[in-house]
Amino acid sequence: MASEKIRKVAAMNILARIRRIPFWSWFWFILGALYFLLPLYATLNFSLRMERDVIGFKAYIRAFEDPDFLKTFLYSNVLALFTIIASIILIVPTAYWIRLRLPEARRIVEFITLLPFVVPAIILVFGLIRIYSSPIKIPFTDIKLLQPLTTFEVGTDILIVAGYMVLGLPYMYRSVDTGMRTVDVRTLTEAAQSLGAGWFTIIVRVILPNIRAALLSGALLTFAIVVGEVTLASFLGVPAFGPYLFLLGQHRAYEPAALSFASFLLTWVAMGLIQLFTGGQGQAAGTH
Amino acid sequence: MTHLALTNVSKHFGDFMAVRDFNLDVKKGEFVSFLGPSGCGKTTTLRMIAGFEIPTSGTISIEGVDITNKAPSQRNVGMVFQSYALFPNMTVAQNIGFGLRIRKEKEAAVTDRVKEMLSIINLENKADSYPYQLSGGQMQRVALARALAIRPEVLLLDEPLSALDAKIRVSLRAEIRSIQQKLGITAIYVTHDQEEALSLSDRIVVMNTGEMEQIGTPFEIYNFPTTVFSANFVGTLNNASAEVVDPANGLISIDGVQFESAVNLKERKKGDKVRVAIRPERLSFVSEQKKANVVDATIESITFLGSVVRIKVKIGDTKFNMDTFNNPFLDLPQIGAVEQVTCSREAVLVLDE
Repeated sequence: MASEKIRKVAAMNILARIRRIPFWSWFWFILGALYFLLPLYATLNFSLRMERDVIGFKAYIRAFEDPDFLKTFLYSNVLALFTIIASIILIVPTAYWIRLRLPEARRIVEFITLLPFVVPAIILVFGLIRIYSSPIKIPFTDIKLLQPLTTFEVGTDILIVAGYMVLGLPYMYRSVDTGMRTVDVRTLTEAAQSLGAGWFTIIVRVILPNIRAALLSGALLTFAIVVGEVTLASFLGVPAFGPYLFLLGQHRAYEPAALSFASFLLTWVAMGLIQLFTGGQGQAAGTH
Repeated sequence: MTHLALTNVSKHFGDFMAVRDFNLDVKKGEFVSFLGPSGCGKTTTLRMIAGFEIPTSGTISIEGVDITNKAPSQRNVGMVFQSYALFPNMTVAQNIGFGLRIRKEKEAAVTDRVKEMLSIINLENKADSYPYQLSGGQMQRVALARALAIRPEVLLLDEPLSALDAKIRVSLRAEIRSIQQKLGITAIYVTHDQEEALSLSDRIVVMNTGEMEQIGTPFEIYNFPTTVFSANFVGTLNNASAEVVDPANGLISIDGVQFESAVNLKERKKGDKVRVAIRPERLSFVSEQKKANVVDATIESITFLGSVVRIKVKIGDTKFNMDTFNNPFLDLPQIGAVEQVTCSREAVLVLDE
């Protein structure tokens, strides 16, 4: 009885709060929502109409049945996983050290992290191909350390992960840096040091758990970039999901729409999971 | 026996001299406060003891062992920060046990020590709470327990109460002092709040522009400041330019009004310019026959400050504050009236100009 009353009061409060928001705020909010939701609805609607006059999931079934779909999708997921791990290994200590000891280097590093926005992926991939199509030698000698990375599968995978790290850099660095700002890494580091902790312990037990939400956000964005990326994958000739979707779009009509919508759903599920796993963390960090 | 020693410690940041030739010997179990305004070098000195800054010159030692170049994690020094610095991802119990687990102590020993510390800070029921579920005062008590759990040689406290509201500050500072005395731990406390320093410390180091101005017990610092800075920084103070009239008898003159001081003026000559300082509470209206330091003063204003009434008076051309305890039957003079005001010879402090 009491809980019902509380619920009613809460609902009334929400309504009262909604009523207080001015008309134009609602107008712009609805316009913005329609801008994003209408194309999504159109894609969903189109993907369900593969058979004439019937609404059904045929396009989805056809798309998921294609063995190339699973192969390319899994491959891109593995690439995304390696990209995320390598990015965390590179970016977390970098951002941490800049916050802790090299604040004067922040502007330079931020500039570098923004370069992928102004240097197109096509230039990046041609740069990679040009440099790594020749054997890797010890400088100033003819001694070969490694055959050209573009000539064998693992080498190409290394190249594409490196390329994806560059593409994901602005998102991952900013996420990590923002996460570190909210938890005051400098004081936490000093507190841990005064209690006897070394660098590894500090990063693993103090810093990483407190920027979990930021890492997950960065990881999700990197994942989204890698799974849908076409340019690097096409020019390096790897069987990734992006080129598969591109090719599918050239030959089929309904399946690419179905896969696009499925990708959206996947992204939303990932975002939901982030909210679920990091629900209390922002509050915890925010008190400092 | 000296427990913590700082010998000729200096610290430069580029051209800026943050701490200059700092010398201090602290006994075991002593509570020493570094008191001074922002930028006086007190926190830098504390951070050098903690190992977060390395001195440009000089040495720091604990129990005779030189720790000047040791990493912070190797010093066994506990630190309490102004911003609490509790680990947000850990519960209160995990925060307190963190240092012990780093030291690879047995889990049973860690649990016992955490329980002991929780009982010392009276937060037994908050063991499983996260920092964001605690109030500021509770967070700082947990931070104190965490620093003490590792049984540090020295406890360092960097303005630990400045983020708290006034009432909690007063109660928590009493708690800090009581815990420190109970455990007999050597503590260095940084503050810019003179009341905190006076109420907590065995000794106070007054610092200014990277240098030690004066060191002494709270009683000495308050009653017998040796420099103008110390005198002005600790407590409210009247100070005025004066001239030595009769060094042998301790006579000085402020705007032609003569005062007698108990300070030895024998090394000064007649006509020397000096600075005179008198605490407001040492001035009073003449209620009985007095021989020394009875002067005429014009009442300029009267301000009610709660337990104290502050009366502004003019002696010669110089304005002085005079504090008297409030009571319902206080007979206050009229503004503009001329009253006789007095103070003891000991109240008249003579400092270098």
